[in-house]
Amino acid sequence: MNTRTKAQAETILSAQGIVNRFGRQVVHDKLSLDVARGEIIGIAGGSGAGKSVLLKTLVGLRAPDAGEVTLNGKAVLTIGASEKASLIGVLFQQGALFSSLSVAQNIMLPMREHTTLPPPEQEQIAAMKLALSGLPADTGIKFPSALSGGMVKRAAFARALALDPKILFLDEPTSDLDPIAAGGIDALIRQLNGSLGVTVVIVTHDLTTLFTVCSRIAVLVDRKLTVGTADTLMKSDHPWIHEFFHGPRAEGAMKARKTGHGI
Amino acid sequence: MTSVPANPQQASADASPPALAVSGDGDSLALAGALEITTLDEARSALKKWSRHVQSRTLNIAKLDSLDTPGALFLCGLQDKGVKLAGIRAEHKSLLDLICGLDLKPIPQVESTPRWCQLVVQLGKGSHDFRREAIDLTTFIGRAANWTVCSLLHPGCLRPAAISRHITETGIQALPIIGLMAIMIAIVIGYQGVAQLRPFGGEDYTINLVAVSVLREMAVLITSIMVAGRSGSAFTAEIGVMQTREEVDALKVMGIEPMQVLVVPRIIALVITLPLLTFFADIMGLVGGGAISLFLLDVSPVQYLTRLPQAIDGSDLFVGLFKAPVFAFFISIIGCMHGLRVTGSAESVGRETTRAVVKSIFLVIVLDAFFSILFERLGV
Repeated sequence: MNTRTKAQAETILSAQGIVNRFGRQVVHDKLSLDVARGEIIGIAGGSGAGKSVLLKTLVGLRAPDAGEVTLNGKAVLTIGASEKASLIGVLFQQGALFSSLSVAQNIMLPMREHTTLPPPEQEQIAAMKLALSGLPADTGIKFPSALSGGMVKRAAFARALALDPKILFLDEPTSDLDPIAAGGIDALIRQLNGSLGVTVVIVTHDLTTLFTVCSRIAVLVDRKLTVGTADTLMKSDHPWIHEFFHGPRAEGAMKARKTGHGI
Repeated sequence: MTSVPANPQQASADASPPALAVSGDGDSLALAGALEITTLDEARSALKKWSRHVQSRTLNIAKLDSLDTPGALFLCGLQDKGVKLAGIRAEHKSLLDLICGLDLKPIPQVESTPRWCQLVVQLGKGSHDFRREAIDLTTFIGRAANWTVCSLLHPGCLRPAAISRHITETGIQALPIIGLMAIMIAIVIGYQGVAQLRPFGGEDYTINLVAVSVLREMAVLITSIMVAGRSGSAFTAEIGVMQTREEVDALKVMGIEPMQVLVVPRIIALVITLPLLTFFADIMGLVGGGAISLFLLDVSPVQYLTRLPQAIDGSDLFVGLFKAPVFAFFISIIGCMHGLRVTGSAESVGRETTRAVVKSIFLVIVLDAFFSILFERLGV
């Protein structure tokens, strides 16, 4: 129950021997990953390396061809709907806000389905989640089609947080955003992790996010995960990983990391 | 593996839902257990009786094991009402600071207008929309006809691959269902005919009834309605999804006219396909008539075939087939027009598809009535 005292060693998400294949193409070959409670882990990899498929497997949207994913000690495919809703929150790449509902209704939907709170209270909580995600209250009555890309991400963030999940899965949270908005999302992730103790799994290409937010990085390369901290991965001699962390764009992100740590 | 020893603990924790206990009285109370979204109702009702008149109220939350954001919001609300929180654990402090520090405003309510007002507004909107729709449809028919004729005059602009794909999808794949429907309709008319004509001893004329009504009206009408539901809706949905994914804009930017690549091939394909499908439905309807004659009238297939030429003539077939391309033109135009009218959301694709199907079936029936009058006047 008490999250941060005996926390660090406890595994909340564990994937063992995951195999995913499409026809003859093997995407993941006996891949394993353990995520400790309260950590922020980044999953990186080239386009088409199977990051999104891995995310779908981790949250139980896709049954792997072999291997098992356990969340909080239970096999993900056997967790009941209501328990799962309060255990995980997912931020989809395009937001996946329901276009027929207003933003506030989007956030209240999981509460309406899984709790007995009266509507006015749900609305209060929805307003709080909006504020927590950095959106003004009047965004609540807008419909997703009226929002900008950055606002969609934040609104989807608020919905992912609706039931205070223990694990938050973020699929490319900063893609398509301007650097200021992306920086805001990065700060939001850090803040939520710090104050709520939520475990965060981020799938991203964004080097700045990887360097400044994540405590560990898992690189998906050659159908397996190579897990380490930014520093250990920098020293890796695998050609793709080396290229990834030493390319021209990585240098700037490294600087951000150093200044980020200064704050 | 680390998860194995964690299992029993987890199981015991999950077996009992998080509980909340309130203790103490007077001006100081204590909360213990879990203050979460699931126990929030409990907390609220337990603290409701807490008198407002007591000057200094304190709530001790040192024994609170878990706290989530709705719980923190609740505590912040109490704090605003003058309740002092005591014994805040370090791990809850940052959460409380975060939530209490938020600038919370209620979500504004959507302004609602009274019923009678809405009625007037709807009426006004409806008539305005009707006018706009009429103008849109007329404009679109003009543009589509223009581009179709233009493409036919410059055969280089035609897209044979697209046309043949649409002919396959709207025509060949529709054959089984349209054949079945035509047979069924012939059987329905046949049964009614026999039942109504038998008292007058004229049940043999059922053959005439079935053959004429199938050739003149039923085959073309059933086929058109089926195609409007099957292919008209597909046109709207296909073009609509392209519209939502900005594919139509991409075409325009590349200097390719969407009318030419999206609309014209569909019109041409359907204008070719629908008469052929109608002819097929004619044949199947006559087969259905043959079956009825065999089972209800004891007329053998050979006799049936010799009776047919006396019952029908070329004009019956012509009247049915003449209408098919006209219907096809309108079904494809309406399907494409609504597809191009889609804006942004998935909801809009659904709405436009519904409108396209309703409108095209409506128009098919109106046009059919018009043709009936026309042919009657012309004496065909």
